[in-house]
Amino acid sequence: MDPTLTRWIWPLVQTALLVLLGPLVTGLIQKMKARLQCRRGAGILQPYRDLLKLLRKGTVQSDTSGSFFRVVPVLVLGATCAAATLVPVFFAPGTAGYASLLPLGDALLLAGWFALARFLTAIAALDAGGAFGGMGASREMTVATLVEPALILVIFSVAIVAGTTDLRVIAGHPVGMRGSFGAADLLALFAMLILLLAETGRIPVDNPDTHLELTMLHEGMLLEHSGPGLGCLVLAHHIKQIVLIAFVQALFFPWKAATATSHALIMGLGAFLLGTLALSVFLAIVESSYAKLRFFNLPQFLSISLLSSFLAVALRLL
Amino acid sequence: MSLDLAAHLIDIIGAFLLITMIVILEAGDLYRAIYTMAVQSVFIALAGAVLGAATHNTDLWVIAGLTLVVKVFVLPWLLLRVIHRMRIHHKIEPLIPVTATLAIAAAIVMLAFYLSSSLVSLKQVITGNALPIGIALMLIGILVMMSRRTALMQMVGLFASENGIFFTAMAISQGMPLIIEIGVTLDVILGALVMGVIILRVKSSIGSDIADLDQLKG
Repeated sequence: MDPTLTRWIWPLVQTALLVLLGPLVTGLIQKMKARLQCRRGAGILQPYRDLLKLLRKGTVQSDTSGSFFRVVPVLVLGATCAAATLVPVFFAPGTAGYASLLPLGDALLLAGWFALARFLTAIAALDAGGAFGGMGASREMTVATLVEPALILVIFSVAIVAGTTDLRVIAGHPVGMRGSFGAADLLALFAMLILLLAETGRIPVDNPDTHLELTMLHEGMLLEHSGPGLGCLVLAHHIKQIVLIAFVQALFFPWKAATATSHALIMGLGAFLLGTLALSVFLAIVESSYAKLRFFNLPQFLSISLLSSFLAVALRLL
Repeated sequence: MSLDLAAHLIDIIGAFLLITMIVILEAGDLYRAIYTMAVQSVFIALAGAVLGAATHNTDLWVIAGLTLVVKVFVLPWLLLRVIHRMRIHHKIEPLIPVTATLAIAAAIVMLAFYLSSSLVSLKQVITGNALPIGIALMLIGILVMMSRRTALMQMVGLFASENGIFFTAMAISQGMPLIIEIGVTLDVILGALVMGVIILRVKSSIGSDIADLDQLKG
């Protein structure tokens, strides 16, 4: 195949896969939650229908908000899609991947894109002038100050062994080079699973199902958006969720295709789908079996993840 | 089972022990702390069994079984019974904020690694992280005892600390001799019984917890 073509085709295929499967994962989790609560629940494809409905609607905007408010949903979606290009889904060429342009694959950049998306969402929520938006933004940023250091520490704990923060290399390592799954990996994985709950806005931290509670974080910021803008933000949230799920797998279960043979690709894709299913089941079970924490107890809960990611780094270095 | 595989398994069990210790430290609820302590003891028993299988030391199997019976079933049952009898409210009141204790725990783990690196001359059965993790568990258990008001939580801290001592002993030697281990286990049971009785007596005579016993009265 033409080398310039292969440079572009793998990252684009993998990003497109993440964008297309994002709503499906949300639908799957909602369906599993419904079954666990003995409800029938909406179909797995419901998030797609919601998105189509939102995209067809018109936009209503509060009087206090400026023109920036209209741009924000597109920017957030763009930042999240940019984050999606960084994560290897089923194909990770390892060090050979330096020749290719995309996915850029830097794990710290991934955290940066998420921070940008979060910042833009919060700014738009404040711009709209609603009380809920301001509350949601304030709380989201409070949670972010606890989540982001832990995320960076988790990345470092893996990067110390791999010698790089490049996700293509981390996910492309043959098992022997990373060493076997040890104590530090386990602690970092534990921290990452708590971060997954916090970052995807799930129940011990945030409640994704309600729009009318003072406790909500992420949904509170989206209240003032409507129509296609809201559609973009909701889609961005779906994508963020699946990107994080793919990120957990890239860091801790690097079973990716190292070469572009069809056999290896199918194995890599199968491993990705299985891993995504497993993590979705995890999210659904946690969400059905815990109550939402009080907001003032959140720092205590999130500091577990901060501490165990810190210990993971300590175990690697000391 | 080869010693390498055992060392790897014990490394992973060490991570689980640390995780359970963090959860005990963070727990805002007595039930959660007690159940987590029981889970931690399951991992200790597992570690004993793994080391027993690797070194063909039957004493370790006995110790693992003893740990399983005493620490996983008897002691948690005893603690839950005391809670039930006393009808105390099961919220834990920390002396210093929980986030601060978590930060201290991080410092303790660093200290444990520093201490164990000065013990290099010690011949370890299980090389790697087992010794520092054992020391860290022991010290964090003491931290739990120091930073919580309620007597029951202090007992949980004591048992968790005892788990740490056991893990350290396994890392250095192949566990303590059977007779000592039995003695320690009996001591722990006896300690739990005595503390349970004292808590009940304190509760029935002054109607409050031991945190209020900070003044002498003539």
